[in-house]
Amino acid sequence: MNNHEKAGNGATQKTSYRHTFRLAVLIIIFILAALLVRQILVPEAFGLEGSYRAAAVNEAREFPIRHIGEKACIECHDDIASLHDKDAHAAVPCESCHGPGSDHAQAEGDVAIRIPEGKEPCLACHRLLDARPSAFPQIRWREHYKFVGVEDTALDCIRCHSPHEPLFMDRDIRSARLHPLIHRCQDCHTERFDRESRRPDDHPAIFECSYCHKGIVEDFSQRAHSKVQCSTCHMFFKESDFAGRIIRDSDPRFCLLCHREADFRSSDAPPGIEWPGHLEDVAMEPGDREKRCVDCHQQRIHKIMERSESDE
Amino acid sequence: MSNRSWTRRDLIKLMAAAPSLLLIVWGPSSSRGQDESDYDAHAHHWGYAVDTTRCIGCGNCMRACRAENDVPEGFYRTWVERYRVGIDGETHVDVADSKTLIFAELSGEISKAFFVPKLCNHCEKSVCTQVCPVGASFQTPDGVVLVDEKHCIGCGYCVQACPYGSRFIDPHTHTAGKCTLCYHRITKGEEPACVAMCPMGARIFGDLNDPRSKLATILRQNRYRVLRPEMGTHPKCYYQGLDREVV
Repeated sequence: MNNHEKAGNGATQKTSYRHTFRLAVLIIIFILAALLVRQILVPEAFGLEGSYRAAAVNEAREFPIRHIGEKACIECHDDIASLHDKDAHAAVPCESCHGPGSDHAQAEGDVAIRIPEGKEPCLACHRLLDARPSAFPQIRWREHYKFVGVEDTALDCIRCHSPHEPLFMDRDIRSARLHPLIHRCQDCHTERFDRESRRPDDHPAIFECSYCHKGIVEDFSQRAHSKVQCSTCHMFFKESDFAGRIIRDSDPRFCLLCHREADFRSSDAPPGIEWPGHLEDVAMEPGDREKRCVDCHQQRIHKIMERSESDE
Repeated sequence: MSNRSWTRRDLIKLMAAAPSLLLIVWGPSSSRGQDESDYDAHAHHWGYAVDTTRCIGCGNCMRACRAENDVPEGFYRTWVERYRVGIDGETHVDVADSKTLIFAELSGEISKAFFVPKLCNHCEKSVCTQVCPVGASFQTPDGVVLVDEKHCIGCGYCVQACPYGSRFIDPHTHTAGKCTLCYHRITKGEEPACVAMCPMGARIFGDLNDPRSKLATILRQNRYRVLRPEMGTHPKCYYQGLDREVV
């Protein structure tokens, strides 16, 4: 004990420094090791903006855009766009039916875009569902086919309804006559969020059919169809704020939309006819099948416009 | 001895100072997180609104999201719920077919039915980012809740924490998956894919910082609610026309 103390006293200064120094080295090594581990575990750019890897924000931005938007489609398909933008599907984006178009556009068309097939793509929106808002057009397709007299249930919707201009029963709108007319308020004022107010004097004129076609409208009101709106048959299609096109669809299927005899029709429905049995009843030649209803029944609807009258 | 500077006190001081000195030298100096383009994340605060009265349940949003973001089948970054209240008063909720994302016709006597589109609410005080043990779940300066896929360990805490069921574990990457508000689109001036592909305008996206944005305007002019406000998460996804059946 004594010997040990003496030996210790002999080298007091030296030993006390050494053990402090050793402790310091140990602590520094520990700190360095901790920092090294931190350096390895904590990713780069962590904590710059918050407790996350700031570079991850940029990585999220680098993901490729796949739905490229209508502008890119119009660059090549302006003809389709001009029809599409004026019809009931105007608010339906191209890529919502055709799928993302980035590959197709980048390859300038060499990569095919999806062409929807079958009824399902149409029925995704137009199938009659409880939850679907009632103002939205929707059908039970089997009943609809029965109603319009399409027997082939394998037939796709687009055989009658052009998907780009679905209102016009596969008619080419460009062949229709330009017509100066503006429809009712709600034809233009449909957008709930459209709050851009016009000055009243900028407002386009509103026409009634009778302003120009007084004779026809009066004649029409005396006849069986008097409760039918002009626009039901002469579908109007707005082309600009001042002009539109009137479609007169005289395909028999159009009249049959209301007049086909069917067991599910209600009692107050318009008079039904058997089709095409009706043609045989009135002793038509088989070749006359293509004949339009109005060829015989025009007088039941309204008197025929003279060409000069219509041009006024 | 009095000139000798190395006292015990000095050593302790040095040891205290060493880490901070080292931090200055070693600290995260390389590769700043800011990008080179002109997008300024601090200038925006993105939000979202859903007008449930407009939704027709077509599923375009879900299909667009899946195609835009490679969302695996059976998982959803955004989805549409169909609520059907029977005449017995019971509420049934279902989603579209997981493959086609199209709603089928269902039978049964229904007194009330409607669609409710859902997605991540990008909460101001998001629970999912708070529970992440590794800092892989975070909110960007422009208010979008994102997952750092390279850093996520797939523990699934966030999936459990989210009161809205907006997260899932991606079966391919084994990391948390969720709506990014299409961060790759919105930072380049585009709308999220679900908004861009909605034919009814039922989904509205915009900058809450900009009082003239469409979103800020409609929020100002209409009555909107958020989902589960009692959770205190302060969602930035606003709903119009919510029924009381929707929690």
